Amino acid sequence: MEEFFQHTLNGLSFGSIYALVALGYTMVYGILGMINFAHSEIYMMGAFMCYYFALFMGFSAPSPINFTLGLLAASLAAGMIGYLVEKFAYKPLRNSPKMNSLITAIGVSILFQFGGQIIFGANPKSFPTLIEDKNLFEIAGSQIHLIDLLIYGVSALALVGLHFVIYRTQTGRAMRAVSTRSDMTPLMGIDNNKIISMTFIVGSVLAGIAAVLVSIKYPKIDPMMGSKIGMSAFVAAVFGGIGSLHGAIIGGLLLGVGEYYLIGYGASTYRDALSFSVLIFILLFKPTGLFGSKMKEKI
Amino acid sequence: MNKLTKASLFLLGFIVLGLILNYFLNSYIHAILISFMINAVMALSLNFITGLADQFSLGHAGLMAVGAYTSAIISKELLSDQWYFIPLTVVAAGFASAVLGFLVSLPSFKLKGDYLAIVTLGMAEIVRVLILNWNHVGGPRGYNAIVKFPGFLWSYSFGLLVLTITFVTFFRLKKSWFGRNLWALNEDDIAAEVMGLDLVKAKRSAFIISSFFAGVGGGVYAHHLGYISPGSFSFLISVQILIMAVLGGLGSMSGSILAAFILTILPELLRSLPTGTVDIRMIVYPVILICMMIVRPQGLLGRLELIEYFRMKKWIKS
Repeated sequence: MEEFFQHTLNGLSFGSIYALVALGYTMVYGILGMINFAHSEIYMMGAFMCYYFALFMGFSAPSPINFTLGLLAASLAAGMIGYLVEKFAYKPLRNSPKMNSLITAIGVSILFQFGGQIIFGANPKSFPTLIEDKNLFEIAGSQIHLIDLLIYGVSALALVGLHFVIYRTQTGRAMRAVSTRSDMTPLMGIDNNKIISMTFIVGSVLAGIAAVLVSIKYPKIDPMMGSKIGMSAFVAAVFGGIGSLHGAIIGGLLLGVGEYYLIGYGASTYRDALSFSVLIFILLFKPTGLFGSKMKEKI
Repeated sequence: MNKLTKASLFLLGFIVLGLILNYFLNSYIHAILISFMINAVMALSLNFITGLADQFSLGHAGLMAVGAYTSAIISKELLSDQWYFIPLTVVAAGFASAVLGFLVSLPSFKLKGDYLAIVTLGMAEIVRVLILNWNHVGGPRGYNAIVKFPGFLWSYSFGLLVLTITFVTFFRLKKSWFGRNLWALNEDDIAAEVMGLDLVKAKRSAFIISSFFAGVGGGVYAHHLGYISPGSFSFLISVQILIMAVLGGLGSMSGSILAAFILTILPELLRSLPTGTVDIRMIVYPVILICMMIVRPQGLLGRLELIEYFRMKKWIKS
């Protein structure tokens, strides 16, 4: 029972990371209808930008200020990279078939992975300790670590922030409008290109935050780190119903917890297969995901 | 010249070419040549489903893996490593992949959209993880000492035969009523459905045919190298196949062969570049892909075959 509780806690902490990354996939899918394969590389770049920022600033002792600064730097850098990728790789293809932007996305993703190996080096780097891990207290025999609490807290804050942006601001309203009828929004005075850029920036910022949170828990970063978490997060987005924000969050949490049960109860080598089996079952039995709505075909 | 003399002339030419290659070039060139043929078969197979039917597959490496392992296991366990059974096992490999392709097609075509891409991506990953955990075939260590053809001439002729059959099959299918159905759903699926085309059935048949040839490609691959491991069928291989199909032009069968040729030779020429441990292909490929999509999204030949392309050029000039 204690073990079960511990696995649940670990799973939730990883699941909230999945949720943060999955939101980026689901937002871009909702607005452009394309799978942004490069999203996992933006996540990877966030971790590396934080690493170099810490190196540049000469952070030596772990402290909350360093952590906050690192988080800010990573999310800013990730947002910027997301913006640039959208501007240079996806925007020229806005009016061409969807297949083309999908192929470009794969190209961008691979370019980042292997370009990263040339620029940053292929060997894993050890992420600086931005904040010291402490064993805070015990509940029912399971230990609650400071880092886990931070992961819950920061992701919850990020999600609340996202909710505010999407449902309480003009930009968010415009985003929702574009994702419903992108052909009508220009008539309402909405600049579609600007809103699409904003969506990429918001999604990328979330990925940057997730990258720093993961890196302080598992302090080893390499240019290929994005691909695995990206796949799982994408599955989480489909699981929750791609295009639906709340679906992505719930899907991420469920998938994280599920994976930790699988690892905890002795089938860890099948971990990578779990998310995809979930995916295939979802597509077989409820293809729109948990919260997705079936779009009516317009003629 | 009628078709028969043409075909026999081609055959003669290829046999002479094989003899020349056999005696005048080293085994490095031989290996590249065979891997070009395998790449071309894989690119053709992907081009059929992605170029014609507009369904995006990201898991051809998984289908290839199933074919390769099936062929290797059958020839080792059942046929006691006799090389003259290789054509048989390769066909069996094709059927195994076709079965997997059928299973994959069940969830993929329930909804319109890029679901095939997602499911095939997952399928390839699941296949890889299952092989990793299957100790009987070596797990992560790979499967060793698979029987090979006794000499280059044999493997050259067999590779050529497979490539020719694949090309002719897809070329004829493209021109057939079935190919036209696929073109129709590619252009406008709603209109095609209204005209009475069963979209799911058409897409499914296309994917099963494509899977068959992907498995055949995998089988040839296994018997060409004599060693396969789960690592040889990673996501990057799927991407490599995709790049070949896109570069040649989605929908152009001869374009795929052309692109497979270019992209097999190019990395070998770039081998001397100082990139350390990083595979140079993985820098060159995405750059080609992105530039291609922005500058010439239809690929080298577009939908036209090579002959049609030159005819078109002539026609424009006159």
